[in-house]
Amino acid sequence: MGIKVENLTKTFDSKKVIDNISFSVNDGEILAIVGFSGSGKSTVLKLISGLITPDGGNIITTGDIAMVFQYSALFDSLNVFDNISFALVERKDLRKKYTEQELHKIVKEKLELVGLSGIEGKFPSELSGGMQKRVSFARAIVTEPQIILYDEPTAGLDPISSTLIENYIVRLKNETNAASIVVTHQMSTIKRTADKVIMLYNGQIVFAGTPDELEKEETPYTKQFVNASLDGPMKMFAE
Amino acid sequence: MERFLFKNTLTYQLLLTLQKYLTVFISTLGNIVIMMGMVLKRIIKFDIDIKELIYQCYRFGVSSLPITLSIVGMSSVIVATQVAGEMIKQGGGNYVGMFVAILLVREEAVIMSGFAIIYMIGSSLASEIATMKVTDQIDAIKVLKVDPIRYLFAPRILSGIIMMPLLTIIATLFGILGGAVASNLASGLSYRAFFDSVWFGLFVRDMYISIFKAAVFGFVIALISCTCGYYADGGAKGVGDATTKAVVWSFIAIVFLDMIFAIAFFF
Repeated sequence: MGIKVENLTKTFDSKKVIDNISFSVNDGEILAIVGFSGSGKSTVLKLISGLITPDGGNIITTGDIAMVFQYSALFDSLNVFDNISFALVERKDLRKKYTEQELHKIVKEKLELVGLSGIEGKFPSELSGGMQKRVSFARAIVTEPQIILYDEPTAGLDPISSTLIENYIVRLKNETNAASIVVTHQMSTIKRTADKVIMLYNGQIVFAGTPDELEKEETPYTKQFVNASLDGPMKMFAE
Repeated sequence: MERFLFKNTLTYQLLLTLQKYLTVFISTLGNIVIMMGMVLKRIIKFDIDIKELIYQCYRFGVSSLPITLSIVGMSSVIVATQVAGEMIKQGGGNYVGMFVAILLVREEAVIMSGFAIIYMIGSSLASEIATMKVTDQIDAIKVLKVDPIRYLFAPRILSGIIMMPLLTIIATLFGILGGAVASNLASGLSYRAFFDSVWFGLFVRDMYISIFKAAVFGFVIALISCTCGYYADGGAKGVGDATTKAVVWSFIAIVFLDMIFAIAFFF
């Protein structure tokens, strides 16, 4: 079992952002969380990664958790090598465990895994958005995590770069057998990467199923999302 | 409050504004105290990233040295130029060096260096940390299970404690030299008379107090700047607001502390 979430609740300023949701993701499985902006998708990732604490419910995880942030969140004062090796050099339990030579070998391997080689000396500002994203993938998997969380991994990328990123999400799942959660708005990302999908609205799960079921199911929520329609039960900026 | 006052009255609006500012003041002060506790814990245990500490010391010292020397040097020249002529006329030419040195050691060098550090380092620290905050870099550090206090804040704040006294010593020496040159050029006071007066009037206690004050100022400026940066939210505006807040709070804090030190040591 990778991730098990039970009756999770989170409130900000008396507004329930996450309202008693439960789901699970097995090892080697990708769950896509979809929904409109402000529906609580990213909050779920922050709760699972421990960046914020829940008001109620349980999150059971096995192993290390890695997270890929929406805009990569690479450390702009460090080069690619230092970004990727950061956790191995700075984390208390890993500090001084690796020699400089071993670090170079690990960084090289991780960069090759995301299709980038020979850019260890470059700084994030010298890379394209897609390359930054892939470097952040390499940074995330450097500690061999059992859980990988992706927060809108294709946001701001052109369609071809998006496809490339989606392929790497699947590749990382296959290579690491990690339980993964992808928060996304894009149908293409859902179809290419996810084994199952949940849709959030007002902090609650309004759909749970496979990507095929999301497309085919004729519920008002799924119809509105798939057709990107303004008419339906989900209101943007819902009060 | 609404029960007792009408919402549209000026009194109500004033009280509301006051309440807002008071809330911001108390929460900022609380955040600074919390950050201070966490950082001091790491400093006492010396649980600090050494590589980062060395880099921050270099950044603190080297980048702010020219502006610190310029500000302290120029203000010392201004004081010496204004005072030397008058003191010589009144028969106090032998005390010009002492006057300049006491002024520099007790107040000018340390407070002017503090201002220079706020411009150069405080604003830079606040905007750097705030940018890291709003671009999720600090969250990334946490998710990678690296302690941000050990890696980010403790080295920056400890570098303030280490480097500010060093800068102040260099600035004081530079200021005394500037005062001697200005007194000589403006009023013809000999260098020998100036420096004899400096040795006569300076006490070791004053120097210790100056170094202690500088260390406290360095700590406070770095602490406030890091805290304001860490609690930034929003995008570019959040970074700008955090930087402004860091500069304003640092200014007020070091002037307030300087007053407390003056009362404590020289009253």
